[in-house]
Amino acid sequence: MSDADREWVDTVRQRLIALGQTSAGERVLIAASALALSVFVGTIIVFVAGLVATCRDPVLTMGGTTLCYDPFFVFDRLFLGALGDPLAGGWSPLNPQFALTLRETTVLVFTGLSVALAFRAGIFNIGTQGQLVVGGLLSALTVLWAAPLLSGGLGAVLLVPLGVTAGAVGGGAYGAIPGALKAYAEANEVITTIMLNFVAVLVTRYLVTGPFGDPNSQANQTPPLPEVGQFPSVVFDPRTDFSLFALLLAFVFVGGLYYLLAYTAFGYDLRTAGIQPTAAEYGGVDAARTIVASLTLSGAIGGVGGAVYVMMILGKFQTGVPSYGFDGITVSILAGNNPLGVVFAAALFGVLKSGSTVVAFATNVPPQLVGVLRGLIILFVAMPEFFRLVGRRLAAGQEETGAAAVGGGADD
Amino acid sequence: MSRAVHLDGITKRFPGVVANDEVDLTVERGTVHALLGENGAGKTTLMNVLYGLYQPDEGRVVVDGEARQFDSPRDAIDAGVGMIHQHFMLVDPMTVAENITLGNEPRKLLGLTVDRERADREVRELADRYGFDVDPTAIVEDIGVGVQQRVEILKALYRGADVLILDEPTAVLTPQEVADLFSVFEELTAQGKTIIFITHKLGEAMTAADEITVLRGGENVGVVDADAVTREELAELMVGREVLLDVDRRPADVGEERLRVADLSVEDSRGVRAVDDVSFSVRAGEVFGIAGVDGNGQSELVEAITGLRGVQSGGVALDRTDVTDASRRDRIEAGMAYIPEDRQERGLVMDFDLVSNGLLGSQHSRPYASAGRIDWAQTRDHAESIVEEYDVRPPDADATAADLSGGNQQKFVVGRELARDPSVLVASHPTRGVDVGSMEFIHDRIDALRAAGVGVLLVSSKLDEVTSLSDRLGVMYEGELVDVVDPDAVTEEELGLLMAGERPDDVSRVTPTDGGTDR
Amino acid sequence: MTDLLDGRPSGRLLVAGVAALVFVALGVAALVAPESQVGRLFGIVVSASTLAATLRLSVPIVFAAIGGIFAEKSGVINIGLEGLLIISAFTAVFGADLTGSLWLGYLVAVVASTALAGLFAVVCIEFRADQIIAGLAVWLIALGLAPFGSQVIYGGPNTKSVDTLGTVTVPVLSDVPFFGALFDASPAVYLMFLAVAVGWYTLNRTTFGRWVRAAGENPKALDTAGVDVSRVRYAAVLLSGTFSGMGGASLAFSIGQFTGNGPTMVNGKGFIAIVAYLFGNYNPVGALLSTALFAGLDAVQLRLQTTDLYALPDSLVQTIPFVAVIVVLAFVGKTRLPEAAGEHYESGEE
Repeated sequence: MSDADREWVDTVRQRLIALGQTSAGERVLIAASALALSVFVGTIIVFVAGLVATCRDPVLTMGGTTLCYDPFFVFDRLFLGALGDPLAGGWSPLNPQFALTLRETTVLVFTGLSVALAFRAGIFNIGTQGQLVVGGLLSALTVLWAAPLLSGGLGAVLLVPLGVTAGAVGGGAYGAIPGALKAYAEANEVITTIMLNFVAVLVTRYLVTGPFGDPNSQANQTPPLPEVGQFPSVVFDPRTDFSLFALLLAFVFVGGLYYLLAYTAFGYDLRTAGIQPTAAEYGGVDAARTIVASLTLSGAIGGVGGAVYVMMILGKFQTGVPSYGFDGITVSILAGNNPLGVVFAAALFGVLKSGSTVVAFATNVPPQLVGVLRGLIILFVAMPEFFRLVGRRLAAGQEETGAAAVGGGADD
Repeated sequence: MSRAVHLDGITKRFPGVVANDEVDLTVERGTVHALLGENGAGKTTLMNVLYGLYQPDEGRVVVDGEARQFDSPRDAIDAGVGMIHQHFMLVDPMTVAENITLGNEPRKLLGLTVDRERADREVRELADRYGFDVDPTAIVEDIGVGVQQRVEILKALYRGADVLILDEPTAVLTPQEVADLFSVFEELTAQGKTIIFITHKLGEAMTAADEITVLRGGENVGVVDADAVTREELAELMVGREVLLDVDRRPADVGEERLRVADLSVEDSRGVRAVDDVSFSVRAGEVFGIAGVDGNGQSELVEAITGLRGVQSGGVALDRTDVTDASRRDRIEAGMAYIPEDRQERGLVMDFDLVSNGLLGSQHSRPYASAGRIDWAQTRDHAESIVEEYDVRPPDADATAADLSGGNQQKFVVGRELARDPSVLVASHPTRGVDVGSMEFIHDRIDALRAAGVGVLLVSSKLDEVTSLSDRLGVMYEGELVDVVDPDAVTEEELGLLMAGERPDDVSRVTPTDGGTDR
Repeated sequence: MTDLLDGRPSGRLLVAGVAALVFVALGVAALVAPESQVGRLFGIVVSASTLAATLRLSVPIVFAAIGGIFAEKSGVINIGLEGLLIISAFTAVFGADLTGSLWLGYLVAVVASTALAGLFAVVCIEFRADQIIAGLAVWLIALGLAPFGSQVIYGGPNTKSVDTLGTVTVPVLSDVPFFGALFDASPAVYLMFLAVAVGWYTLNRTTFGRWVRAAGENPKALDTAGVDVSRVRYAAVLLSGTFSGMGGASLAFSIGQFTGNGPTMVNGKGFIAIVAYLFGNYNPVGALLSTALFAGLDAVQLRLQTTDLYALPDSLVQTIPFVAVIVVLAFVGKTRLPEAAGEHYESGEE
């Protein structure tokens, strides 16, 4: 390493140390490190899986062992593939793979916000998945019911907002249940929301196989929504099932939630209750009402996510909804439960989800890899102390004295 | 006599503070030694060094004539040093014997199983030897605080302690229990044990100890013979200047009734009646004080008045309006300010900055919020003015509450509550854990509020505080308001008897005629 | 601190009482009118095959619950039991397939689950992670990893089939009506009863059990008594992995396959286990009894699907155990958690 290089490394290290001293900066740094570490562990997993798997044309053969997957190629496909290969020539942002990434991102913004809102109120909403399912079904049924009543231009203007509202109502009501159980019966919301996820899947399956099913299909689904009852595609090819309107709506929710948390008395109540309930009580916050309100609102945002899934991606409701709700937990935690951070975390996770399809197509590595990464990211973000330790080591290597403050340290 | 413990030039530093600065301490075998000093004088730190919880930066620890290096309490225990912390280290749902033998359980069946019979027997024998009335099979959470303390002492003795350190052992005891504890001290020293106890109460040090070491600001400022020293000398050693306990103030100018508590009964979180049929009223321009040993229902009373706890029966009226069922928020908006006893739990959101903390309780009220929207500029001005007026350090409204020292946190809470322009102030231990300067400042503020016609309810376990600030003084014992006395006329002995549960009929009555206008 | 709800009568007793009452009422109705719907329902409830199914369905839940008790009693809330069950169910089949021996597969599963629990322990104890979030991570990692592994090795989310554990039949006793099902069961069922006994004894009679309880109630008391709190917590969390591993392996070997679609074959059993031990007041025997309630409802539900007794759609009938868990949780409400559960402990902290 030349002196210039070393100087450069030192500068970067100093910048990182400075970044780590501010708490927001520290959070970004920890999220980025957690992500990097997840990808690293993911690489190892892919490598090991490549040794275990059997395949016709291995990328590497050493003696008796074969390596079926090239981890670097996998992650190349995962990230670059999701964007539609921007490094190759003739890249257009309108390419279908990038549209898929944006599509996934859109739904994940909603589920991420849903989880984040509850988290800020000190509530673990693991039930965004169920709230999304219920909201999605209610939005599909509402649009199907209202479509014949609203003809022509009226339908085009009103059906989508109506469906979104129905999603919010469905998800909100389904979120209110664990909220009330927590507020008035002290039932732990982690367990109740998980149980309600199971219940949501079973009840919606019953509804679409029975009373609201599509008589013309063998699948467990509602009849298809009319074209006017779906988010219209603009700019992007309609076949990509992505609508900029939906992404716009997601941004509106991000701004709205940011405003709610930072600038309203309710947001203050919610944050106070989340961070220190005893002080909130002292400050006149009604704990029970705040719990119910936050989980209802959280559920409503998840429900809108369901409506968007139904009205943008699927064009109907069908059982077997992908686990956007669980991904939302990762998105929220990665974003430090900050609404603005959710945008970036959702985009990142959108890349992973979309990229996993490219990976599966190009390499035979199962798309469940994303599921593994989802868990790893949460695990690593949950252990900031680890990164602080590493940070301190780095700083200690930098200079012997005056480095104690790096990473904020523990203040107890 | 020989030295049981000798600490030689102990220095212990924490980031930003020197908690112990070359402190010496010598304790003779078979004696009771008091370590006296104000909060923050470094007493507990010094004892934690002796107990191996902290390692000294400089100095030597000599026990039994041998220099020792204690890396953990385990080492100290092995050397015969035991410590009874202020907060008992007991496992509440376990039995007395299980607690005493924890970590040293007698075993059977290849060492896998606890020999419970033997544990019970050994504990019973140990208790008998020192004359303790303790049932080995009782569950710890069911027994009284005084007995729990004895369990702690037995725990140390079971581990073979010859030197017992007690950190503020009387803080949670009634006067009778304190007397019992001191006779336990005698029994233990008679059997050759050595006792070091930490206290900030002069009287206790003089009564119970043979010798007293006084700490101030982390330094040893004097070692005195308990029998030869006077109260005044000790007080001056401890505080470093002559203490003026009495506040000079003009007589109260009482107006109409601000707060009325009528036949109030309240249960604690375990469903036990903690406040029993308490009635009193506080009028504009007076301070009504409540004295009592901690844990006699004062906390529950205050929480019921301020809307943090439901009531079983009776009522609370604020400015002649019934607020018994009113929410906490309604009470704040009706003009009730409240300095809570635990600022870090209740009074401040520790991870919020001071700007946000200044808003706590006012987040729905003008001028800080209107139509549900918070005016952050206004809120920031408010916090900055509190910081400036109350000399909160660091003088930075963007600092988080957790970054402030306890005294500065308290000043901020007091400033915020007094700025509400209240008609009633409920102040619970308003100067707990603050330095002398801040204490005087807070007292002045409460006095100014009284002069401005606010009704003040002051709850404190500091007798000098309640007697000097109050116009009338109620005494609570086991949930009852046993008497209301004139703080200027009552003696400390009379107060002590009332606090210990003596009925006022047995104590010479000194009830003021009305409202304390006789000051 | 308006814990007014704390003073109410025990929700635990209430639920148990209601369950008993419903059972008696069913019985009485069955006596009066054996051929009525109610009578036939009672017949299903008290049939030996329902008991057998209840036992079979209880196995993974009880194992996970005992593991969860150890972790939580020591002060580490392990909400990732579901993940431990998933990872062990998959590795059991993989191990059995690899070695050709069910019991070696069992061992592989226990090792895998204990290893994952060890990772969880390091993250919580060493790196002070929030226990709930880390537990969720354990669940999600396993939920991703097991189907991923199955896809890599077996080309689909479901593995190939291996043998099942079969049944061990005790002569004579197995012919007793109803209770005979207790003596004509999989070895996993007997292991489950053994685990309950060992779990209870360890917690209540051994020094280790006492330290576990102290670590969760007042770690500082244990620390000052000279016992290393972190080591006790590590051991307890590793034990939760070991027990869950036995549960997951037993589950997979009850049908001889791991199925990894959607929530996988574990399907919430790890979370039900948490409610089971809360409802059972952290007592392994209590956890067994409350599991029997949930698993019993599940068993009846399965039987109802195959009868024409009620024309209820399967999807709705399948919600019964989940709804029962919610109802129980609502009635039991706030349980008395170990005082220091969920809190990080650092020796020497003031």
